[in-house]
Amino acid sequence: MTKITRRTFGIAAGALAGSLAFSPSFAEDVTIVVNGSGGALAQTITKIFEEPFTKATGIKVRPTAPVSLPKLKAMVESGNVEWDVTELNGDDVVTATKAGWLVPIDYKAIDPDNKLPAIAKQPTALVRASYSTVIAFRTDKFGGKTPQSWADFWDVKSFPGPRSLENSPKGNLEFALLADGVAPDKLYPLDVDRAFKKLDQIKKHIPVWWTNGAQHVQLLIDGEVSMTSSWNGRITPLKNEGKPVDITFKGGALMLSYLGIPKGAKHQKEALQFMKFRMDPVASAEFVKQVPYPGFVPGMMELLDPAFAATLPTSPANAAVQFDFNSAWWADNLDAVQARWNEWLLI
Amino acid sequence: MKIRWSRTILLLTPATLLAAMLFVYPVFGVLSLTVHDGTSFTGEPIRQVFNSQLSIIVLQRTFVTAATVTLICLLMGYPMAYFMAGLSPRKRVLATYLILLPFWISVLIRTYTWIILLGREGILNKALVAIGLTAEPIQLLYTPFAVHIGMVQILLPIVILTCLTSILDVERDLVKAARILGATPAQAFWKVLFPLSVSGAATGGIICFILCLGFFVTPTLLGGRTSLLIANLIDLQVHKTLKWDLAAVMASAMLAATFTCLLAYWMLTRKRAEFATGGLAR
Repeated sequence: MTKITRRTFGIAAGALAGSLAFSPSFAEDVTIVVNGSGGALAQTITKIFEEPFTKATGIKVRPTAPVSLPKLKAMVESGNVEWDVTELNGDDVVTATKAGWLVPIDYKAIDPDNKLPAIAKQPTALVRASYSTVIAFRTDKFGGKTPQSWADFWDVKSFPGPRSLENSPKGNLEFALLADGVAPDKLYPLDVDRAFKKLDQIKKHIPVWWTNGAQHVQLLIDGEVSMTSSWNGRITPLKNEGKPVDITFKGGALMLSYLGIPKGAKHQKEALQFMKFRMDPVASAEFVKQVPYPGFVPGMMELLDPAFAATLPTSPANAAVQFDFNSAWWADNLDAVQARWNEWLLI
Repeated sequence: MKIRWSRTILLLTPATLLAAMLFVYPVFGVLSLTVHDGTSFTGEPIRQVFNSQLSIIVLQRTFVTAATVTLICLLMGYPMAYFMAGLSPRKRVLATYLILLPFWISVLIRTYTWIILLGREGILNKALVAIGLTAEPIQLLYTPFAVHIGMVQILLPIVILTCLTSILDVERDLVKAARILGATPAQAFWKVLFPLSVSGAATGGIICFILCLGFFVTPTLLGGRTSLLIANLIDLQVHKTLKWDLAAVMASAMLAATFTCLLAYWMLTRKRAEFATGGLAR
């Protein structure tokens, strides 16, 4: 077995020659890994952004899921970074930036003409989308009345029936304070004690605390609950199908979702190219028509039907009745509040 | 002899390497996280877990739930196995098949089925309202009750089959002899069959208990906020709060509990060969 036959030698030599011959063209055949939240949304992103991007640049895109801060931490700390771009929510960006898991973004590459608004350009993350956590409710359970505020959500006499909230302090503390009469512009810094006291009142009316976007929709449709906090994009398609559900933007939490590049990502140049492509107004308008989570892409709103634009969380009328979710406060306080939340909820 | 030795080693090497790489190494990683923070040894994670009211309550709840589910499974499974032992071999095969049928369906699907059955607008609540037993739907889903039902349904086949083998293992002639000597059927059961088969039933109970300790999907889908088990809490510490050291302490506590159960199992079984194999040795 130790003897190298002519055949083995031939194969080895061929492989060597092959790898040498192919090495120059290797650089063109780049595949970037873009991590997102998966599901139906991922298919839309593939169709509207990733496939045209590959056609335009020759750079292939492999989408992965889900969005996970622990995974990002594990990748960066082990030095084995799989993602080139990842979606991140607001306080993930703050935490990841503090921990040094994200690289600073070169906005000269993404926004050479400086057209993006400043709010979209965080040092280590680009705003990809905005969405709201709002009140969703059954239109057939309250005798024609519709809840108008978080105070109504807490009012189990006028609006009877079980409710659901997300199993997370984020947003819920704000909702409790709004229900308790705090003015939307006076929310932060949050009065945590007051919020938990108010949450005590609603606790026994919540049989289940949802953990993902599909679950709260299911709870509402199945009649398990009559009211729940919900992401704004999930309910409208069901309402259009004729299901007895609706949302109100009143008291909603306007949140931002970002794209960032992990430290040690292997294709940072291509990642920036992809992020630039995500800021294309035509593609973005097409995307928002299917998924109502608009970013701050300049020129996109003008491409939309005004009646449709009015249903988006960032439309002036809707933005006015919501509050801006403060990710920075949460990044500073999440650990302590989450620990208290777990004890409060699970004991 | 020498040749056989080297062959044994050769045959065992791939499996051992795989287990070492994918199981033993990560488990030691988890164990080391409980006492080592990456730079030095520390007792902080262990102290934090055992000072936290939440982890103590969830640990207790996990053991109580596991014990209750095991008891229900034994109380339901043993009579069922006794009934099956009395069937003709052909009918017994059919019964075994019927019991295994749900066992082969994914745990996830079986658990989702309970959501449909137990929901506020589910079949059970609709029936209860229709026959006038209750005016308003009862909260069945997202309660400890739903978690127990879901777990019992998943684990019952295992308990029935271990009980069945232990009952079949008892020499039928012994029961006949008892009857001939004047024992009533009840006496023959309680004085002969039951003592001889109870050890096998206990084996099934221990297996059931160990499996209960690690349940994750059922409490996630059917449970409310107060039916969370240790596996859910570990998941929470890994994915939500990023406290991997605390998750490691809890995982190690579960590992220790499982080993204790296995030790009990081994101590019980080493005395009797048929016990160790659930009667399969014959």
